[in-house]
Amino acid sequence: MKRRVLIAEPNAEVRRFLELTVERLGYIAIAAPAAGPPPAVDAVLLEPAAPETRSLLHHFGGDVPPVVCLSVYPREAGLAPPESVAYLVKPSSTAALGHALRTILDH
Amino acid sequence: MRAVPAVMHRLLHRPRSWVPVVALVGLFGTFAVMMLTDTAKQIGAIGLAPWVGLFAYDVGTAGGLAVAGIGLALWIVATDDQGGSLSALTIAIRVAAFLVFAIGSSVVGRRMRESERAHRTQMGLQSALIDSTLDGICLTDVRGNVLISNVPLRRISVEVGLPPTGTVPDRLIAIAGRTTEPDRYRRRMREIAEQPMLASEDEFELQGSGRVFRGYTAPLSDADGRFSGRIWTLREVTADRELDRLRDAFVAAVSHELRTPLTSISGFLEMLRDEEQSLGEAGRMYLDVIRRSTERLQRLVEDLLLVAQIEAHRLELVLDTVDLDEVAAAAVEAARPTAAEKEVDLRLELDAAPPVRADTDRLAQVLDNLISNALKFTDAGGEVTVSVFRNGGFAQLAVTDTGVGIPLDEQGQLFSSFFRASTAMRRAIPGTGLGLVIVRAIVEQHGGTIDLESREGQGTKVTVTLPAAEDAA
Repeated sequence: MKRRVLIAEPNAEVRRFLELTVERLGYIAIAAPAAGPPPAVDAVLLEPAAPETRSLLHHFGGDVPPVVCLSVYPREAGLAPPESVAYLVKPSSTAALGHALRTILDH
Repeated sequence: MRAVPAVMHRLLHRPRSWVPVVALVGLFGTFAVMMLTDTAKQIGAIGLAPWVGLFAYDVGTAGGLAVAGIGLALWIVATDDQGGSLSALTIAIRVAAFLVFAIGSSVVGRRMRESERAHRTQMGLQSALIDSTLDGICLTDVRGNVLISNVPLRRISVEVGLPPTGTVPDRLIAIAGRTTEPDRYRRRMREIAEQPMLASEDEFELQGSGRVFRGYTAPLSDADGRFSGRIWTLREVTADRELDRLRDAFVAAVSHELRTPLTSISGFLEMLRDEEQSLGEAGRMYLDVIRRSTERLQRLVEDLLLVAQIEAHRLELVLDTVDLDEVAAAAVEAARPTAAEKEVDLRLELDAAPPVRADTDRLAQVLDNLISNALKFTDAGGEVTVSVFRNGGFAQLAVTDTGVGIPLDEQGQLFSSFFRASTAMRRAIPGTGLGLVIVRAIVEQHGGTIDLESREGQGTKVTVTLPAAEDAA
């Protein structure tokens, strides 16, 4: 069964690129809903600099899936939520992104 | 009628006008002497002339001549009180002698007056000069007591809350508790107080108000080269620092915002790689241009953010024991394709450099920047040599090129943000003017130094010196 990745990225073009990358890696890409609770997923690809994407994590309650951050800000900015297991700075290569997702989902 | 009260007023109310007082006392003293014996009358009468001259010096020639007339008449009368008549020749000689003395004294007095006026004018100009600057300025003696200070300094002293008395170092130390970094500030002020020959430029910020001041001090030497005091200047730079903060915030915000479109551009470019073979030759060429431009834009964003980090003192190093030979070899290998494309001979010379305590990635960035610069500024057929070696307790790396070089008068600005040498501008060599700023900041944060030697038309050599690992600990 294919793993599901929630994409919480405010920029539409970047979001489209991430969806394509996730699908090419063999996972199912799910766009984050504009409002309301997100669907159950195996991982979240998150831009933590956007308040609306960070607030999305609250909907998971105490069962937040592993989070891969892909941000315009460096890790030192302190934006990463506690659930993040990888932190990449934009623009990240598809190889780095793939490596982070595979580490979480395939091991 | 009004002249006499005016003269008296000048005598009584000009504290530094000692000359007419002395002259009047001298005049009355001389008259008193003339009341005595004949010989005393003669001596006194001759002695009258200088006082007349001094009086003329201060109250003007007319007043001097009036007093001279009175004195002359008294002399003639005084020496003729025994009933004898003086011959015309005697009177003429006495008149001539009196006038020579009076006029001579008057001329000397006038010159003294002009000299004093010139001195006052000079002092006035100097005061105007130092009072009209924005900087507070003062000179202190060897103990730190104020000898002279200007108006801005006195104003800033009140605003900063410096105590009104005491030596300058003591007064500066007294406000340490009001600064945002009291320990550092106090330590620095003590160093200045204890080291007479220390020149220093420091900034401090006042708690609460956010006002920032930059102070400068340097020792002064007398004609024999001995320490004779200090010059101190103080300038408020709050507005400058605020502009810096705004600029840094703007640059950081823009740079971060650029990362979003760069993500989609570089991401889709990667995806296009799979489709590249289906494109025609022109399409592949366009794709190369987009790819190179994207990489360049990406480097620019990274450099801007790194400079912002450096200027905010937020550059963090992950230190490890690093083999400089390995880092240099990797950097040279990475640069070989560019060197080959430019037909520049890129050489590597390794000579047992000691390991250093360094952040490997940052050190690699130093080498990449230096080699990239050298290659950019060297024409086909030239040479770029990267050498790594030991120099005492230090590891050194030098990047030497046979390129266009940098004009001597521009070399001092090479480590300033966004500065580009005229040789680069003339040849339209691409760059942002941030590379050397980054290199120097990284090197200095490792406790190292960087030196640059260059001759226009002959080439450039940049030498980085880092403490060896055993000494860096």
